[in-house]
Amino acid sequence: MVLSRKLRDEIVAHARTAAPQECCGLLLGEDEVVRRVLRCQNVHPTPETRYLIDGKEVLDALRSSDDFDRELVAIYHSHPRTQAYPSPTDRSEAHWPAAAYVLVSLRAEPPELFAYRIKAGAVREISVVES
Amino acid sequence: MPVTVRLPGALRDATGGETKLVAAGATLREVIADIDRRHPGFASRVLDDKGELRSYVNVYIGEDDARTRGGSAAQVPEGSEVMVIPAMAGGG
Repeated sequence: MVLSRKLRDEIVAHARTAAPQECCGLLLGEDEVVRRVLRCQNVHPTPETRYLIDGKEVLDALRSSDDFDRELVAIYHSHPRTQAYPSPTDRSEAHWPAAAYVLVSLRAEPPELFAYRIKAGAVREISVVES
Repeated sequence: MPVTVRLPGALRDATGGETKLVAAGATLREVIADIDRRHPGFASRVLDDKGELRSYVNVYIGEDDARTRGGSAAQVPEGSEVMVIPAMAGGG
């Protein structure tokens, strides 16, 4: 996955703004190159430890795209206090196997950001190349 | 009554890769059953054992969240666009 320093900083800024709650959003682009960050609302009732992207925002993103499955490079969220690795909940609730899952952790400075594929609960880290 | 059903994300593998289908039915449950006749196993991906929408599946009928219109019993007007969208969720 290719992510510019500017867009990476946008994701980290979103995580800092949302803390102590988890932030979430979409990374849109094509061919694994992220072109923009779409911040979304975390509508989960316990946002300090869980995230749920507002379904209406996903619907709007789908409707505004000619090929959403191709445009969706990654789904991102933050872990304010834990490592940037998919939790058991992250693994069991990953229903978009073609997308990457990007996690940003605020537990240390500078914040860590990693990307993974999650398919049928199996996690595989993928590289994040700065453009 | 034909309706268009769109299936982004993981559900496409339940329909042999098809992401846009035409289906028939007056209710969401009937529409899902119609797709299941062509793609056996689809219904179990979307509905639980009681025939209700699985918690990780969001369905929109036009602009309306199906859960606000009766869940799987929601009426689906002819010509509607139905979006079946897996939830984007997790946390740790």
